[in-house]
Amino acid sequence: MDIGKMLTQLGSGMVISIEIFLLTLLFSLPLGLVLSFGRMSKNRIIKSAAKIYISIMRGTPLMLQLMVVYFGPYYIFGLKISAAYRFTAVIIGFALNYAAYFAEIYRSGIESMPVGQYEACKVLGYSKIQTFGKIILPQVVKRILPPITNEVITLVKDTSLAMVIAVSEMFTTAKAIAAAQTTMVPFVVAAIFYYIFNLLVALVMEYIEKKLNYYH
Amino acid sequence: MNLLEINHMKKGFDGLGVIEDISLTVKEGEVVSIIGPSGSGKSTLLRCATMLETMDDGELIYLNEKAAWSEADINGSHSVYASKADLKRIHKHFGLVFQNFNLFPHYSVLKNIIDAPMSVDKVSKKEAIARADKLLKQLGLEDKRDAYPCQLSGGQQQRVSIARALALQPKILFFDEPTSALDPELTGEVLRVIKELAAENMTMIIVTHEMQFAKELSDRIIFMEQGLIQEQGTPEELFSSSNERVNEFIGKF
Ligand SMILES: Nc1ncnc2c1ncn2[C@@H]1O[C@H](COP(=O)(O)OP(=O)(O)O)[C@@H](O)[C@H]1O
Ligand SMILES: [Mg+2]
Repeated sequence: MDIGKMLTQLGSGMVISIEIFLLTLLFSLPLGLVLSFGRMSKNRIIKSAAKIYISIMRGTPLMLQLMVVYFGPYYIFGLKISAAYRFTAVIIGFALNYAAYFAEIYRSGIESMPVGQYEACKVLGYSKIQTFGKIILPQVVKRILPPITNEVITLVKDTSLAMVIAVSEMFTTAKAIAAAQTTMVPFVVAAIFYYIFNLLVALVMEYIEKKLNYYH
Repeated sequence: MNLLEINHMKKGFDGLGVIEDISLTVKEGEVVSIIGPSGSGKSTLLRCATMLETMDDGELIYLNEKAAWSEADINGSHSVYASKADLKRIHKHFGLVFQNFNLFPHYSVLKNIIDAPMSVDKVSKKEAIARADKLLKQLGLEDKRDAYPCQLSGGQQQRVSIARALALQPKILFFDEPTSALDPELTGEVLRVIKELAAENMTMIIVTHEMQFAKELSDRIIFMEQGLIQEQGTPEELFSSSNERVNEFIGKF
């Protein structure tokens, strides 16, 4: 196999890794916010449910969760699993898992907001939705950016776990080529890919952080 | 006309009474100062009047419209509040200036002032900016229009928070120790602004420890202790009171 063909194959793996990354963020960031509301709910049942959910998602391996999401429909409901479901299962598994981590980050950010901000809003007549959307959330985003960055960087590396249900993302592809061709080259390419990916993530997050630095 | 009427307000926390029984009427254009030792319930009174806290019992009336009234129950009586829609309307009658400003740090000075009129009162942007510019000029903050709160001194921040409250054109403005969080050299500029508002006949209820200021500006001073109004009257009456506690308290300043 020539190096060009190898890179083409690895390239399509990279695209899938990036898709997993972006779709996971797209779904888990809002889902995490909803979950954090559940976690902070005054309703005991909702609060406990959210707490248990977060605890399980953070307390068990993501690899295992992916397998449950993928094989669950067959083992539990006897449904036939199509190959196309693989990618969907990966996105569901990642989104459910990362939402739990993001929920705790949102919660810590929201709970760190001084009560005076809420009281000012209330006296000025803002609705609850306006208070949260205009005043609280923008400030929370600034506060939680560092822990969010950590999670996002972990996510880049975690995309390789999709291998467990044979989604041909970057790492799955690299491993397959390496085994067939008995060469280390695909692993080196994979390492460079993840490293540069994370470098870009760090740059983007740094840019956002700078953008929000106009106040403190 | 009475802008505010509080009848037999009671409020406790965890069974401990903080406001024991307070009645208070404020007429249009009146400036009322509330003084009293720390822990006497002054902030709680303002927080109940501005509905940041719910009273346990008593009546709260703005411009003859009842925000809350007392209803009998098996233990005696308790406050019942008006409907959400009514409260929303009543809310527009008053503003509150906090001890520690509570400005929105991510908004510029201008945005702090125009945002509530626009998003709460649905005032047009043009009108909101016109109001804000007028207030900024009046409060000597024109050059701070585009600054952020973190770039301002405490005195400037407090003036912005006064402008923010005034932009909603309240009929009555409450102040909870507006200069207590400021360095002594910055209190003057805030007190001056409040005096100017008094000169324009703004109705105000001011909790303060600035005795000289209260004396100069108030139509009436209320001395509060242990959740009760112990004494009230014109500044002359209060400062020549025969009440020992009042004298002892004023004497400390
Ligand atoms: N949210 C609250 N929970 C419990 N106790 C409170 C609360 N707010 C005020 N108190 C108590 O009520 C009393 C009066 O407080 P406050 O109204 O702040 O007095 P002042 O403003 O005159 O210093 C204090 O003993 C205070 O500890
Ligand atoms: Mg107080």
